[in-house]
Amino acid sequence: MTKSNTDMLDPDDGASHELRNYAIGFGVSLLLTVGAFAALLSHLPTVWKVSAICIAALLQVMTHARNFLHLSLSGRQSREDLLLVMFSTILLAIMAGGTYFIMADLDGRMHDMRDTQDMEGMPAGG
Amino acid sequence: MTRTTSPIFGRLDWSVTPYTDLLRKVDSNSLVGAGAATVLVLGAIVTIALITWKKWWGPLFKDWLTSPDAKKIGIMYIVLGLVMMARGIAEGFVMRTHQTTALGTLAEPEKGLVAPEHFSQLFSTHGTIMIFFVAMPLLIGLINFVLPQQLGARDMAFPVLNQVSLGLTAAGAGLVMISLLIGKFGTGGWTMYPPYTGITYSPGEGVDYWVWAILISGLGSTLTGMNFAVTIFKNRAPGMEFMRMPLFCWTSLCVAIMLIYAMPALTVSSAMLALDRYAGFRFFANDGGGNMMNYANIFWMFGHPEVYILILPAFGVFSEISSTFSGKKLYGYTSLVIASMSIAVISFTVWLHHFFTMGQSAGVNIAFGIATMIIAIPTGVKIYDWMATMWRGRVRLTTPIVYLTGFFLLFVIGGLSGIILANPSIDYQVHNTTFLVAHFHNVIIPGTLFGMLAGIHYWYPKAFGYRLDETWGRRTALLFVAGFMLTFLPLYVLGLMGLPRRSPTFQNPAFMPWMIVAEVGACLMLAALASLFWTFRTSFKNRTKLAVPGGDPWNGATLEWSTPAPVPEWTFPCIPEVTARDDWGETKRAGDPWRAPDTYSDIEMPANTLHGLLIAAASFGLGFAMVWHIWWLAIVSFLAIPGIMAVRGMREIEPKIIPASQVREEDRKFRERVASLTPVTRADEASERNQGVPDLSEFAG
Amino acid sequence: MSDNTLYPGLNLGDSHGEAHVGAETTVFGFWVFVMSDLIIFGILFAAYASYLDPLGLAGAPGPKDLFDIRSVAIQTGLLLLGGTAYGGVSLSVKYNCSRARVLGWLAVCAALGAGFLFFEIKDFVSQAGEGGVPQASGWLSSYWALVGLHGVHVSSGIVWIIAMMGQIVWRGIDDAVKIRLSMLGVFWHFLDLVWIGIFSFVFLVPLA
Repeated sequence: MTKSNTDMLDPDDGASHELRNYAIGFGVSLLLTVGAFAALLSHLPTVWKVSAICIAALLQVMTHARNFLHLSLSGRQSREDLLLVMFSTILLAIMAGGTYFIMADLDGRMHDMRDTQDMEGMPAGG
Repeated sequence: MTRTTSPIFGRLDWSVTPYTDLLRKVDSNSLVGAGAATVLVLGAIVTIALITWKKWWGPLFKDWLTSPDAKKIGIMYIVLGLVMMARGIAEGFVMRTHQTTALGTLAEPEKGLVAPEHFSQLFSTHGTIMIFFVAMPLLIGLINFVLPQQLGARDMAFPVLNQVSLGLTAAGAGLVMISLLIGKFGTGGWTMYPPYTGITYSPGEGVDYWVWAILISGLGSTLTGMNFAVTIFKNRAPGMEFMRMPLFCWTSLCVAIMLIYAMPALTVSSAMLALDRYAGFRFFANDGGGNMMNYANIFWMFGHPEVYILILPAFGVFSEISSTFSGKKLYGYTSLVIASMSIAVISFTVWLHHFFTMGQSAGVNIAFGIATMIIAIPTGVKIYDWMATMWRGRVRLTTPIVYLTGFFLLFVIGGLSGIILANPSIDYQVHNTTFLVAHFHNVIIPGTLFGMLAGIHYWYPKAFGYRLDETWGRRTALLFVAGFMLTFLPLYVLGLMGLPRRSPTFQNPAFMPWMIVAEVGACLMLAALASLFWTFRTSFKNRTKLAVPGGDPWNGATLEWSTPAPVPEWTFPCIPEVTARDDWGETKRAGDPWRAPDTYSDIEMPANTLHGLLIAAASFGLGFAMVWHIWWLAIVSFLAIPGIMAVRGMREIEPKIIPASQVREEDRKFRERVASLTPVTRADEASERNQGVPDLSEFAG
Repeated sequence: MSDNTLYPGLNLGDSHGEAHVGAETTVFGFWVFVMSDLIIFGILFAAYASYLDPLGLAGAPGPKDLFDIRSVAIQTGLLLLGGTAYGGVSLSVKYNCSRARVLGWLAVCAALGAGFLFFEIKDFVSQAGEGGVPQASGWLSSYWALVGLHGVHVSSGIVWIIAMMGQIVWRGIDDAVKIRLSMLGVFWHFLDLVWIGIFSFVFLVPLA
């Protein structure tokens, strides 16, 4: 983007570079989207389908963050933004994961009353 | 209970005021209700009359309500918090009085000052007010006032947004206040658990008041959190590295992080509750795929970080005052920083301990019980750090130190009862009893309340130019300490004896002695409140004797003490270059701290604006209209909000410029004033000789 | 302040002086706001997942009865195109292209967003016709709340785009407008990001 040792910005150079950046982002995202839909329509086992969809989603989120939102480790501000996003993701993982942990456990205890194994886990007099 | 909805007035009619109840039946219950409404109306009339009589409308509007200055916004937050606190403490007093008269007999099982329904409203508003409209405004106000000054910044990163946040908080507080006069508040406690608060069991306007007050003020708090975080990240003075920030700034950063990430959970849970109530969604319904436990889950995902939002600013204040009033450097700065940040993050991993008994497996309970116990460790580290700070220091027994001592003794007890409750198997025995009530009052009052009052006492001279009266300050502090102990320590015993919380009546005569002790405590709390207001009044009357124009009455070490008291609008004549932690203390040690800067330049300040007031009015209108189903007003107010923002977006707004010459002149006057005042030693700090210029030879910290 | 380490992202580049420095604080602040918003979506995602079981479905129409995979694919395509089109806005502002070009790209974004909304609302209407109303089950409540909230965000994004077009016509592309366009960019791309989660986890996974 910036020529070495000068602060001069070459508009054409920068513009075409950035244009390419958006084009790559669009292409990769399109591929991943098509891949996710194709996985659904395929005849793979369910576990494979779900894993493929999840991996495609994760990769596409990363593509968007990199190519469209310009998060990266280089450059102070984009690094700060990236750290902010990563910190948020950790807290979100705690909250969303915790919710699923708790609610799934509750649901399990409501459904599986036939399962004596689970009955033992119940607190006495609860 | 179906009511007709008029297209113009919604569900409002003349039957909604407490006076109607009084006309229907005169008893202690309707008298208390009508009395509270009368206090509200008379209070409003007296305030308006006083402002008109003193011709304060102009200054109030020009200097305060339209000001985007963080310091003024902070003071307005604190005033809001103190006004709401008066109501909260009065309600607490009524509740205690009710319970001391509530011993039922076989012939008459339900007795007491107020009706059970009214009692439920009391504990619901008391909790809502104390958490959202007392503790939050007090701490946000204090941070607003102190944070930019300690960072060496002129203002918050987004001054107008700050004004909007205040407006939203005030709009929420207004909704809770108006519920005294128009209609009734909810009866589901401050947490408003469905399905009881669903439309089937709570069809009236009460829960809606809560929902809208929370949604509106919650948005304000989220925006405030953003503002704090960005200010700390982007607006520090040159040289103010993270590890040079005063500890209060660190705890403010923790608060900001928790506000940003925890408030959305509250927004989601109350918005879901609103959808259930207004649109018939089934999130928390009893049947048809609803799951009421999900409410508790999402609510406490906010609720637990909220607890630390309340306590961390107090920890920041105690860090500042333990160092200043001992004349020593803060012990273990790095460990305090690490402890604060750990608390901020771990507080997001413990929320299930608020509903151990909801029915999940023992394994889930154990995971969260252990996390809860872990969070006590950094808190313990902090207590030791403050004690080590005071160890062998020259401790002056000023009002903030009285609060700090009370905090040390009582907060540790409260914390330890928390560790007891963190054990799920013990929690099964004492949950939902007054043991729990005693526990959380025992951390929030000695923690948050004492911390905020100590902070107000400490920074008051910076805001208004005179100190608060020490004698009355200490009396207030001791009254609060004694009042707290008598009111709440008996509740531990009552809880272990089996008194459920929120119980409007009981039949066990063995409770009575403890009830009476608690009632005496409640009287002391009322006295403490009166004494607090008396402190403000008597200090204002003696303001010339208590004046500290030198600006540094406590011989402090952080940047805010380098400026005059009261601090000018622009805070610093030129932005300081920070070279050390406790920069002002280092400057003092180097000698001649009041040297004038070499050059002055024009200062750009954000111009006054009506923006916050307009948004506040529109959001209050929206909340009120939604509560009473006045659909036209709701639509108009809802559209007004983006409209107001769009109009502001179209205009180019010029900042207010303060010319360099004016800054130079004011600064010269201040420095001459400092040179003319006699320095005061620490021993004389509480006397009239303290004019805000400390004896530098005594600065050791 | 031609410091290359300042706002490099959606940003304005070094040649914009004041706006570039101002953008650092303001756009960072907006990022923080967006993260707060992300938590709202995250909790709704978790709620959706926890209602997605026989108990939450409660016998009401479920994913297999209601979801139209072709319409979801069209919506995904429109939103992805709309997100990429905002690159046109960012680049034309950064490289000082004409006002008309910026306005044109903004109009393209708004149009693609509106197309997305058209198909989304069409889906909602047909789902309601098949008995998939939010009042029918806990799962449907969470589905309408999550997808509906995203739709509300897209609509407010379109309103914001129109407001920005008004500002560009009214006051030109000055510093404040440039900063606001950067924030709008963060918002618009963020909506894409949330949609990735929605089409993958709300629509595709339950059908798999």
